[in-house]
Amino acid sequence: MPIQILQGTLDLMILRTLSTMGPQHAYGIASRLQQVSEDALNLNQGTIYPALVRIEQHGWTRGSWGKTENNREAKYYTITRAGLKALNEETERWRQMAGVVEKLLAEEQ
Amino acid sequence: MARWRRIIAKLRGLVANKRAEEDLAREVASHLTLLADDFERRGMPPEEARLAARRAYGGVEQAKQAHRDERSLQWIEQTMQDLRYGLRTLSKSPGFTITAVLTLALGIGACTAIFSLVNAVLIRSLPYGDAGRLVYLYTPNPQFNVPVEVFGPAYADFYDLKKESTSFQDMTAFDQSVFSLTTQGSAERVSTARVDGDFFSTFQASPQLGRAIAPSDDQVGHEKVAVISHALWQSMFASSADILHRSLLLDGKTYQIIGVMPQGFEYPHYSDLPYGSAQYKTTQIWIPLALTPHQMDDRENARGNAVARLKAGVSIAQAQAEMSTLMVRLDKLHDARVRGWGAQVENFVDSTVGHVRALLWLLLGAVCIVLLIACGNAANLLLARAASRMRELGVRVALGAGRSRIIRQLLTESLLIGLVAGGVGICLAYVFLRVLPHLNPGNIPRLNEASLDIRVLFFTVAVSVLTSVITGILPASAVSRINLTDFLATSSSRSVAGAHTRVQSTLIVVESALVVVLLAGAGLFIRSYINVVSVDTGFSQSTVAMNIELDARYSQPQRVEFFRNLFARVEALPGVQKVGGISNLPLSNDEDLREFEVDGYSNKKGQLAEFRRATPQYFSAMGIPLAAGRLFTQEDKSNRSIAIVNESFAREYFINRDPIGGRISREDDHTQWSSVVGVIGDVRDSALEKAPEPQIYNLDGDFEGGYIAVRSTLPAKSLAATIRSTLYSIDPNLAVGDIQTMGDLESEASAQRRFQTSLLSVFAGIALFLALVGLYGLMAYSVSRRTSEVGIRMALGAQRTDVMLLVLKKASLLLALGLVSGLVASWFATRAIQASLFGVGRHDPITTLSVCALLAVSGLIAAIIPARRAASIDPMQALRTE
Repeated sequence: MPIQILQGTLDLMILRTLSTMGPQHAYGIASRLQQVSEDALNLNQGTIYPALVRIEQHGWTRGSWGKTENNREAKYYTITRAGLKALNEETERWRQMAGVVEKLLAEEQ
Repeated sequence: MARWRRIIAKLRGLVANKRAEEDLAREVASHLTLLADDFERRGMPPEEARLAARRAYGGVEQAKQAHRDERSLQWIEQTMQDLRYGLRTLSKSPGFTITAVLTLALGIGACTAIFSLVNAVLIRSLPYGDAGRLVYLYTPNPQFNVPVEVFGPAYADFYDLKKESTSFQDMTAFDQSVFSLTTQGSAERVSTARVDGDFFSTFQASPQLGRAIAPSDDQVGHEKVAVISHALWQSMFASSADILHRSLLLDGKTYQIIGVMPQGFEYPHYSDLPYGSAQYKTTQIWIPLALTPHQMDDRENARGNAVARLKAGVSIAQAQAEMSTLMVRLDKLHDARVRGWGAQVENFVDSTVGHVRALLWLLLGAVCIVLLIACGNAANLLLARAASRMRELGVRVALGAGRSRIIRQLLTESLLIGLVAGGVGICLAYVFLRVLPHLNPGNIPRLNEASLDIRVLFFTVAVSVLTSVITGILPASAVSRINLTDFLATSSSRSVAGAHTRVQSTLIVVESALVVVLLAGAGLFIRSYINVVSVDTGFSQSTVAMNIELDARYSQPQRVEFFRNLFARVEALPGVQKVGGISNLPLSNDEDLREFEVDGYSNKKGQLAEFRRATPQYFSAMGIPLAAGRLFTQEDKSNRSIAIVNESFAREYFINRDPIGGRISREDDHTQWSSVVGVIGDVRDSALEKAPEPQIYNLDGDFEGGYIAVRSTLPAKSLAATIRSTLYSIDPNLAVGDIQTMGDLESEASAQRRFQTSLLSVFAGIALFLALVGLYGLMAYSVSRRTSEVGIRMALGAQRTDVMLLVLKKASLLLALGLVSGLVASWFATRAIQASLFGVGRHDPITTLSVCALLAVSGLIAAIIPARRAASIDPMQALRTE
């Protein structure tokens, strides 16, 4: 069964993708997420747009138009310094959250 | 930081929506292309690859919409949420909501009402085209010690100025007069303007029906045409459609109606002309001036009012310079004995509304203070409520509501209160505007046109929003400082409450200070008003007076005969004691100033006195006392060589000598003397607030028209009716104006002062009431907060009186602080009203003391209820409650 994305986590995943892979277009980000999740993440590629807008409006990424290696035009997103900071915070928060949930689940069994 | 950036980005999104939309479409297309490329690379035919890409992408429109939702302002939805939540919480505490709404509604209503006045009188443009370019032209003569506006240009000067000046686009001369308008057997006096052919073009006013008076009408022989006002068309002709085929009978002459002016054009109004007669409230009929060639060449006697429209780009100063230059030359053409005619160009709008501008700003200032006090009260209410809602808000914060979300929630609530209050305020203002015509002092132009138009409504909405923000910002910022840990640790709201009461106390001090300023202002106005109405006018208030002028149907001997007959018939009425005639009645705004000389006095040039022609019975009819000598008698017949002066005259021109037998120049022949036979008491003639001027009365043995004064034991109303029927039986075609008592005239003369005094007093009263409610609320609130403290004190032996004193002491402290700062503020603020005071200084100690006493007493009364409640706290119960 495909995983539902937890609210807020998509932002984290996109930021992480951009910080490891460098500037990417939406398609690239979506492909990367799919690849990493080994297709467990059932992601309609259009779904990442709201997250991209949100992140950009926060000032965490900057978008600019460029060409792909096949000479197609695409909008490239680059992570900003504020984005990197946010990525660290979000990562930390995710780890805590995951830890709490994990502990709880372990206790229950 | 990031949040702000995001909000700004969203705001920008609102503006640059189209670009964002294009960008999005481009991005989606590129995405699909890249996907399809990938599928092709894996070996799909292009068409199939495109479809596969679509499938992999999902719904394009859904993706776009999600993008839009994220991009655009979500807060519209959140606002709806806040609104729903706000409405729910407000309706759950109706007591708080109603108090807050009513408090603000009083302030907003008062502001709206006064603003609608300001709007009608000062802001709404006059219906005369670009009124800013209209000017009045005067030819003042410094020889005469009278205001500039007394002398409009002589007609000969006017036509020379018109010919030679280049500053003006249009120029018009006109005059006012009252005519008897006869319709189906009854006659009515209507105020009429006699205007030249350029009058309507100068004012850029065109008739609603028919045509205006053209230069071709303004000629002797063609002048029997008339333009009538909208009001007259409605009242006299029932808005009939064939009005242009009807005619008017004015003083027995027929005038063809050629046009009807639109509603709102009734120039000149009573208040428009600085020296307009009080008989002309508005103008109902315009007829051609039709000067004879002789009048047009008259440089000495015949003069009219002159209005001109400046050419575009010409300033008043330029026009003034040009007119002054022209008048230097024209002055030389005047009679050598009286020269020195100058030029004065005055802004039309300023002349029209200048005299009420200060009054209206004063009232607006007063209502702003009322509004501020209302805001203070509402803020206090909200603060108190926020304190008791700490728990609810704390829980919301704990559950993850952002601070901005809480602030927004509170502001939404205060906005709701403010807007509802604005709605109620508009209703209050509407009621005020219905009452307003009854308060109209008569000399505020277009006061009755005050209405709730778009501009006023916009103003109200703006004020309501501003008020909401002002009242909401304090509690919201206080709440946003909630410290979550403290809150959870103490599980009580005591910690924040302390800070709250300090803010609340400050608000009460500021409110009381503002109230003191308003009360001091209103107090000074009340004292001035009392001084004005208790002025000894010098005449009897019960005397009934009227103005009767005969029209051209009567010859001179017929006029004399008419009034002999009338006086005899009125005197014969049962109850009537005296009947007298006078050329200019006191307080009627009619004036006749003339030069004179006194034998044995070092006469100065331009020495003026008020000249009156009176019949023998006039003084006793008016109840004006005789101070020395004798009054005119029937035996004097029409003796032109006797005069009566008033005490002011005697004091000024007969210093240390007996005025009786003294000689002054004759009214009709300056080279002859007439002798003073009597001195009468001073009367207030031009205004109640102006000291009496020197007056000379000459005997009018052949009264031909003017004012008639009747002294009787009858009630004024029935006497007026009897006089009317007597007049009707003598001449049914004769129109008579108002028949009023002198008391009525006196009341009219003090009407503007009554208007401003009563409005200011009402506002000061509202302000006091609001401040007291605020004080009471704060005291009651702090008592309820301190219930357990009081319980402990009482348990430890404090007496009930001690507890009461505790509360009263706090209230007194606040009041005293407010009083002192208010007195300091009013020490300076009263400078603004100094010019409007009469017979009282701006630091009047009686007013100051009364204000102090009023505030102290009413403040303590407001505080005593919560104080008693505190004293009646049962210590056992109080300790158990927490």
